[in-house]
Amino acid sequence: MVSATSSGQSRRRRAFSSHQRGRSIFVVSALTPLMLYMLFWTLVPMTWALLLAFFEYSPTRVGGSLFGLGGDNPFVGLTHFRNMFGSTLEAQKFRMSVRNTLIFSFAVLPLNLAITIPLALAIEAIDARLKTVYRFVYFLPTVTASVGVALIWGYLYNPQQGLINMIIRTLGGSGQIWLTDPRASVLGVPLALWAIIITYLWWDMGYNLVIFIAAIQSIPKDFHEAAQVDGANIWHMFWNITLPLLRPTLLFVCVLTMISSFQVFDIIQIMTSGGPQDQTRVMVLDIYLSAFRYQQMGWAGAASLVLFGMIFIVTFVQTRLLRTQWEY
Amino acid sequence: MATTSVSTGRPVARARKRSRLYAMKRLRRVALYALLTFGCLVTLLPFVWMILGSFKTSGEIIRIPPSFWPENPTLQNYRTILTDPKLPLARFYFNSLFVSVSVVTLVLFTSSLAGFIFAKYEFFGKNVAFSFILATLMIPFQVLMIPSYLILVRLGLIDSLWGLIVPGATSAFGIFMMKQFIQGLPNELLDAARIDGSSEWGIYWRVIVPQVGPALATLGILTFMGNWNSYLWPLVVITSHQKRTLPIVLTWFNSMHGTRYDLTMAASVLIVVPILIVYAIFQRWIVQGFTLSGLK
Repeated sequence: MVSATSSGQSRRRRAFSSHQRGRSIFVVSALTPLMLYMLFWTLVPMTWALLLAFFEYSPTRVGGSLFGLGGDNPFVGLTHFRNMFGSTLEAQKFRMSVRNTLIFSFAVLPLNLAITIPLALAIEAIDARLKTVYRFVYFLPTVTASVGVALIWGYLYNPQQGLINMIIRTLGGSGQIWLTDPRASVLGVPLALWAIIITYLWWDMGYNLVIFIAAIQSIPKDFHEAAQVDGANIWHMFWNITLPLLRPTLLFVCVLTMISSFQVFDIIQIMTSGGPQDQTRVMVLDIYLSAFRYQQMGWAGAASLVLFGMIFIVTFVQTRLLRTQWEY
Repeated sequence: MATTSVSTGRPVARARKRSRLYAMKRLRRVALYALLTFGCLVTLLPFVWMILGSFKTSGEIIRIPPSFWPENPTLQNYRTILTDPKLPLARFYFNSLFVSVSVVTLVLFTSSLAGFIFAKYEFFGKNVAFSFILATLMIPFQVLMIPSYLILVRLGLIDSLWGLIVPGATSAFGIFMMKQFIQGLPNELLDAARIDGSSEWGIYWRVIVPQVGPALATLGILTFMGNWNSYLWPLVVITSHQKRTLPIVLTWFNSMHGTRYDLTMAASVLIVVPILIVYAIFQRWIVQGFTLSGLK
């Protein structure tokens, strides 16, 4: 009896340990190649990007053995970063691109929120079946290819053939040269940049909209009912219940909107190529042109690190500003 | 009932007040619907303008002032595009499909496998490995773009569709999403399979994969759309005409035809509409996926 039990136990233990070995083999054999692959496509480029910024590198020169750096692609230390404050043409263009990126992003964020939050509240306030229809329509631009968006809006903005000037003229206004007039500006921001901002808002808004809808749905109904019993009106309920409870979502949306608008490229490259007179030149366009048109990959690498730094700062500051101490 | 009819004055006033309140509520609802519908029209107008433009004749499209509805609707633009020898559309559809389907297949496999391991196994270095994966989510693509291009040069994958597929075979977001989903599955499922003598690979393939269909669908559609619409990376990697993907071809075609909006709008329709159909079919999963992801 006793021996039988113990042998049974040891058999079970042996079976268990063989299972255990099987699991270890599985984890090691499946995960190791995957992790190595991911390391190869993130850590190597990341290191390379950090190194590039301190070299005068062009792929047209052979250079040293490691990453092609050194030799004809010499180490220049902080020269690229110092030159960003200099008076060379490429430094001026770079600073212009930083400025435009900031204007673009700080215009897009509040306008986006001003459209998507009320829209999400409105959609949540109506009947279930129409809700889906509205959400479907408002999300359509977001799934459209950026190239399609850029071409459609290029046509809409065309001064002679475009719909926008046609509507303005029908309403009695005078048509504008939306994308190519370097002197036109509204509130100190070039008209072409406004045109890009509007396009971007149209394209991007559905995304924040569905996030807000999901967040509003997750707010317990009791809160609003209790407030209604206490005699609160819609406005009170929005400021004192909905908005505070949306705070975590708001943080998430702010960070993501800011990060993605820092990275705007496609629609600008297609609609204006950065013009007129670099008024819509943004950082990614500047990086793209420096790296792949002028083969100045060291300089472009340094610029991309500045973009990385800006994204990092925005994420950090916004996390600080909108931090909450509670959950519901 | 009896009490209301007996008491005088006050209930009438109350009823009047209530009906005024209802009227106000009704008014607010009407205003709400009007606003939402107006917003929808504004959202749809650019699409409508694109589609109308694609049916206008070359003469009508350049007329000033422009017309809204096409006066002599024509299919000529579509015919021109589909028969243009310099624009073998089938080829470009194939390129885009090949890249997107390959990436989706690879991402679904790698994400579900890694997600499964991170969700259901304990091993040395697990937290470090997973933190690393999350950290890569914070690096913007534009920072990795130049070095990734240089890596492709050394691997001989520039101007190759594989250059669009290979770097995208794994997805940090995909692994994260699949891990979250698989964590919710009961461990008993795994143990039962083990008692039946299943290997760990067998568990992955026969127990986990069939259970995570909805998550795979969401991830798959998002990845597909991301690759189908992708512009910057193909612009950098692809140099020869025959290997272009649809977005790159569309901008090339646009630069060839300048202000021939009749042609470029027809071409846009041919490229934008497929993805809108995909969206119409999979709407629920797509919206859900975007809400989850925080990625585009």
